[in-house]
Amino acid sequence: MAEPDSPAAGVILDIQEVDFSYGGSQALSGCTFGVNRATVTGLIGPNGAGKSTLIEIIAGGLRPSAGTITFEGADIAGLGRVAIAKRGIVRTFQTSRELLRLPVIENVMLAAQNQYGENLLSGVFGKSKWAKQEKELREEAATLLEWVGLGHAMDQRAGSLSGGQRRLLDMARALMAKPKMLLLDEPTAGVYPAIVQLMAERINDVAKQGLAVLVVAHNMAFLEWVADDVVVMDQGRMLTRGHIDEVRRNELVTTAYLGG
Amino acid sequence: MLEAIGFGLVTAAVVAMAAVGLSLQVSVTNFINFAYGDFMTFGAYVAYAANSAGLNFFAAVAVGGVATALLGVLANLTVFRPFVRRKARVITLLISTIGLSFIVQNLIVIIWGTGAERYTVSIGNAHHVGPFLWTTGDMVIMVTAFVLLLGLHLMLRYTRFGKSLRATSNNPDLALASGIDTGRVVNYTWLIAGFFAAVAGVALAMELNTLRPVLGFNELFVVFGAIILGGIGRPYGAMLGALIIGILTEVSGAYLNPAYKGSIAFAVVVILLLVRPQGLLAAKGKSA
Amino acid sequence: MTYFLIDLLAMGMITSIMTIGLNMQYGFAGILNFTFYTFVGVGAYVTAVVTMGTPSGYGSESYILHWSLPWPIGLLIAGFVCALLGLAMIMVTIRRLRSDYLAIVTVSIGFIIWNLINNYIPLFDGGNGLFGIPYIAGGANMSNVQYSMMMGLIGLVVLVGALWLSRRIANSPYGRVLRAIREDEVIAESFEKPVRRARISIFMVGCFMAGVSGGLLAYYLTSWNPQGFLPIESFILMAALIIGGTGSNWGAIVGAFVIVELLTEISRYIPTFGSEATVGAVRAILIGLMLILFLMFRPEGIVPERPERWYRTGRVPGSEPSGLVGAIKRREAALWPSRTRQPLA
Repeated sequence: MAEPDSPAAGVILDIQEVDFSYGGSQALSGCTFGVNRATVTGLIGPNGAGKSTLIEIIAGGLRPSAGTITFEGADIAGLGRVAIAKRGIVRTFQTSRELLRLPVIENVMLAAQNQYGENLLSGVFGKSKWAKQEKELREEAATLLEWVGLGHAMDQRAGSLSGGQRRLLDMARALMAKPKMLLLDEPTAGVYPAIVQLMAERINDVAKQGLAVLVVAHNMAFLEWVADDVVVMDQGRMLTRGHIDEVRRNELVTTAYLGG
Repeated sequence: MLEAIGFGLVTAAVVAMAAVGLSLQVSVTNFINFAYGDFMTFGAYVAYAANSAGLNFFAAVAVGGVATALLGVLANLTVFRPFVRRKARVITLLISTIGLSFIVQNLIVIIWGTGAERYTVSIGNAHHVGPFLWTTGDMVIMVTAFVLLLGLHLMLRYTRFGKSLRATSNNPDLALASGIDTGRVVNYTWLIAGFFAAVAGVALAMELNTLRPVLGFNELFVVFGAIILGGIGRPYGAMLGALIIGILTEVSGAYLNPAYKGSIAFAVVVILLLVRPQGLLAAKGKSA
Repeated sequence: MTYFLIDLLAMGMITSIMTIGLNMQYGFAGILNFTFYTFVGVGAYVTAVVTMGTPSGYGSESYILHWSLPWPIGLLIAGFVCALLGLAMIMVTIRRLRSDYLAIVTVSIGFIIWNLINNYIPLFDGGNGLFGIPYIAGGANMSNVQYSMMMGLIGLVVLVGALWLSRRIANSPYGRVLRAIREDEVIAESFEKPVRRARISIFMVGCFMAGVSGGLLAYYLTSWNPQGFLPIESFILMAALIIGGTGSNWGAIVGAFVIVELLTEISRYIPTFGSEATVGAVRAILIGLMLILFLMFRPEGIVPERPERWYRTGRVPGSEPSGLVGAIKRREAALWPSRTRQPLA
């Protein structure tokens, strides 16, 4: 495990002693672990273990009450959503959040960072500049969508997609932002097995290209496909960590799941 | 000053009845009702019609109350419930209440015309009560408001229905899961809200000594002020909000140009929202 | 009859500018502004006081400024004043208010402004309002019909400008950001979009439109008083936009005309019963009913939001309505054949 302030070779995100509580109940207490570059880290644990809270905190939606979160050597704990996104951490949500009345392709195009023409004046008067950019973005988004198997649905409203397709769209959209780290919250919930497999392949592709991926999942078969290493959380902290087979055999883990 | 506070208490009593009804409805249905002011007007007109037809004034008020309660349920069944079934967004429900407001207000115009009407009872003579100067009508209004609000409080606190209502308001899904017929709770809520609207409407018409089709619509924003002050969907907060708004408008009316006294309520609302968007009494806000 | 139709067209043009402005705020960005017409009213006053000079022979009118600027400048000033007023208002409401708080606050602020104008006489002559707003472009020597025709043309020119701006915004990355905010603000923030700035700027543009359309109204009617912008007008505009098609520019225009038609033309056919108030009441009930029915059965309105560029592959899945709605849609397709043009990209 990485030491507090040594940005060790592989570690891109380092979570140290993070606490958080909702009202009275302690959701995270002394949560500590690191996430490596170019690997897929699975995050599992019983309900209420604090997985989603942790994702929310990393993404800047919640502010931890104690602890540090270091991303590429800089402390990002307590920054807002926008600031976190700027540093290259992009997330998906536990329930997919699409822009339902926008076409699928525009959902993806939206995610591209630093677009010209996103302000009133440049939008109205800079058409010569953004028209070209739009064309490129459209190409790029279309490629991404084809890559996740949504090529046929590009021009439909996002609201017309099935649950599994929305998960894929979530992923394509997150990648459009060219992140350094991807947080996937339950990407396989309610998804057909065939799509789960496609998703696993794509996540592996992405990790091979150097991205760090942190994925919350309940689906063990899926984790077997994707996760290089699995962190087990229970009662707001890391219980154990290791390859999925080791984790499976670990008695502590079994007790945590059965005993709540 | 003290006299102004006395008038303020009367205004507060009227606003409180209206605000509590609306707030109760919002707490259960989770959307603001722009037609509520027109419910007030409707109740006042039905009471007027019953009264003009020779019915005793208080009986007439009861008739108005019942009619408006039924109107509330009718609106729920024909307009709001279908939207809720379709999982419509809060904004959609909100806008549909504007449509309903158009309909109710203008049905009143068609039935009763636009002329100003009056009840056959007078508001009585003025009495000095301690430092305050109140007419008989004022005192009847305050007593009525007190009795109704107390009754509502007892019902919310001590009856099975009150428990179901509070449960539904806190978390409809959970309430449904624990065996509460939330659909029925919503209907009863509309009944109560309609009844309070009607009584408040009559009281308002008494206070203004005139009854017009825009009676409630114009008062609606004062009522909104009270429920925002108290925190949206919090009936007890609405009582406090009504008290503050009532006294504030009358006292400021005594010092400033009375023409601006309506604006005071709104200005307070806006400033309050700047400082404390969740309202005075709110702890955890309901999400939209 | 001719005059009536021309008047209808001219008013329709001006109302369309309003619904296009409202559409930018509500249709694009989802900002629920329930007091849009307040900005129209203020725009009308501002235009009046910067163009009508010193009080004329109508008695003791008292108002500010007394400027005598050329009429197009008056429109621009009205637009900018309303944009600034809109800036003040959006700064108050931009905190994360529940949508219904926002609705109430906008209405309340509108009421405060109305009350102030109605009672504070030195500003715009209080409840009496302003008379003798000058006819523009030599209109003083025209007949009513000619003046209406000219105002209709001026309205058309401004409307075309507004439509151009609105379409440009809708197609730009800025427009995409606005729609993203409308659909899900958290998502827009997660992809580091300038949510706050986009909201403020589009609100100001919408208010600018309101100011300009108010100025046109002032020139057309040549008098303006607080009874001209009661709170109900904002609700009617909102109904017009929703019935026409939220988020759609053509929808905004259709809505403006449909409601204007409802407000004027139908009354010509039903004056045989009841008083004048009854006729108005029937119209309002119709609007209320249509609003609720549209929300229930066709929430996208008569002209749905920009289908042509979005659906390269053709048909919108699962949206081929039958019956009455289908008939309306077919009629509307006949009305707007340009919608079938080839998409971009």
